[in-house]
Amino acid sequence: MPIEFQVTSQFEQPDLFYDALNNAHEGLDRDASEALNARLILTLANQIGSHSVLLQCIQAAQKTQKLSTKE
Amino acid sequence: MPSAIQSGYELPTYAFMKPRELDAAALTDQKKYPVIVVGAGLAGLTAACDLAIKGVEVLLIDDDDTVGVRGAASRGICYAQKSLEIFERLGTFSRIAEKGIQWSIGKTLAGDEVVYSFDLSQQNSHNASTQPPFINLQQFYIEWYLVDRLLQLPNVEIRWKSTIVDVSQNDDQVDIEINCPDGRYSLRTDWLIDATGIRSPIRDRFGLKTNPALGEDRWCISDVRFKHQPPIERWTWVEAPFNENRAVWQHLMGDDVWRLDYQMAPEADPEVISRPEVVADRLRAQFGPDVDFELVWVGPYGYRSHVLEQLKLGRVFFLGDSAHVMSPFGARGGNSAIQDADNLSWKLALVIAGALDSSVLDSYHTERHLAAEQNVSITNRTMRFLTPQTPMQKVFRRAVLDLARTFEFAQPLINTGRLSTPTEYVAQDGYGLHWGINIANCLMHEASGEVTNLVQLVHKEQGKLIFLCVDQASFEAVQKRWSGHSAFAIKLLDPQVLRVASDDVVSLHQWSDSTGYLRKRFSLEPGSVGVLRPDLHSAGTYNLVELDVYIATFWPQPLQNTSTRAH
Repeated sequence: MPIEFQVTSQFEQPDLFYDALNNAHEGLDRDASEALNARLILTLANQIGSHSVLLQCIQAAQKTQKLSTKE
Repeated sequence: MPSAIQSGYELPTYAFMKPRELDAAALTDQKKYPVIVVGAGLAGLTAACDLAIKGVEVLLIDDDDTVGVRGAASRGICYAQKSLEIFERLGTFSRIAEKGIQWSIGKTLAGDEVVYSFDLSQQNSHNASTQPPFINLQQFYIEWYLVDRLLQLPNVEIRWKSTIVDVSQNDDQVDIEINCPDGRYSLRTDWLIDATGIRSPIRDRFGLKTNPALGEDRWCISDVRFKHQPPIERWTWVEAPFNENRAVWQHLMGDDVWRLDYQMAPEADPEVISRPEVVADRLRAQFGPDVDFELVWVGPYGYRSHVLEQLKLGRVFFLGDSAHVMSPFGARGGNSAIQDADNLSWKLALVIAGALDSSVLDSYHTERHLAAEQNVSITNRTMRFLTPQTPMQKVFRRAVLDLARTFEFAQPLINTGRLSTPTEYVAQDGYGLHWGINIANCLMHEASGEVTNLVQLVHKEQGKLIFLCVDQASFEAVQKRWSGHSAFAIKLLDPQVLRVASDDVVSLHQWSDSTGYLRKRFSLEPGSVGVLRPDLHSAGTYNLVELDVYIATFWPQPLQNTSTRAH
């Protein structure tokens, strides 16, 4: 079955994932964090694979930009 | 033939002959040519040769008297499978294969490390074509072999040292003015092919805008012979430590000459970076202080890209660099020029022969404009990878390289050029199951048992559209409906049918798709008819009713009383 963009949460362990993500950046300067994020995006993107889902992910991130920059 | 030593090569030169139009005894009644090709580069030579082998009388005009591009940086070195299949049809492939280089090991490097390497010889098992994926060879050899081939054909005339200085057209003809060592004269033709290259005087005379986009990068080609040859592999540095962490290409062409292409700083002065002592410094930085080499040719260049809005203007066609220019990644300039010629020639030959209405020629623009736009997009993506423009583009490229050292999945993201592939001409209106997909030059057996390939069989049909059937009933129905029509040939695939078909007429029309490739690629089954274009693209698979509709829609027949050959 082709994978589809998921609006509902797929996380098995949301809090543990969030922890792991932030822990990975612990002690890194901005450049190193940026580089880690870039490697992580590419690695996750490969796990998804489906081009249309990837494009929807990029759109989803773009759509929510306003909210996050308000903080 | 006298030879000129030029750029470290011995190139042929061709004699200028006084044109008959300048003869004192020339008739006042001017001859009208069916087609004139201007420009003897890859596009012009391929078009001239393709038209000529289909029986069209061709006049080819070139402002030089040799092959290659004098003093210009545009010199292709890599010919992809589709081009090689076209050269197989034109009769020059075996010479190209003999002279050219087929490397199979490629390495991509960053810093002092190999990020990844691949061996193409391990990847080609599923390739249906009888031609290799590509051959490296200097562009002038490709042109030289085509000129040799043209000189063998009786229906071709080549006029060297002849420059087009004016052009005009109306509904019936194109008039051009030629300047040659013996003076100026005019020519008249039904169709004009502009293959004069990036600075086309024809395009400019019609006032067609190119709106070029200029790249900021500077590059410098250094073609070199080594006393001690590096391994015959293609090496591509995304970041070469010996070139200020800019890109470098290293690959072999014919005559033991290596093409080294260096990405330079945007502000680099072309004159300075191409000085022999500066080139020598770069080579010593790359190969060590004691490297022993002979410099064959140096050419600095910058990138530009443009695509003409219309590749056909009335009776004039624009091919190759005249129509579109892109950065050299993936060898898409030369290969797309060859495919332009491939796309146009069979259509034009059928129109000139009176087998199809000239409205079919509009599809040259539709299909090759699509190809040009795709090629520009694809080369622009490579450029973005090789020359990241923003801090974030640099971050992502670094991430790709870092991941690719460890993980295979990141390797496809490394974009050092995507080798030219055939364009799939997807119909705008979606008609047809397989409209436009490329068909490889697969192995075939003739009814006589002789092993040949698809290109040779299509060539024997003199550039007609070929209807492919796999069952006797469809074959007979199509034959009854369309045989005798000069645009179509009808073929029956597979030997099994011979057992039920006893008469000799059937065997004359029969091929064996020995690998099953065509059956599969066209999704052929009893009752269906595949339509194969002479440029080895599929034009779809239909049942007998759909086939009539399809032909009426896409292959306009000329009016009975129309003659395009009124000379």
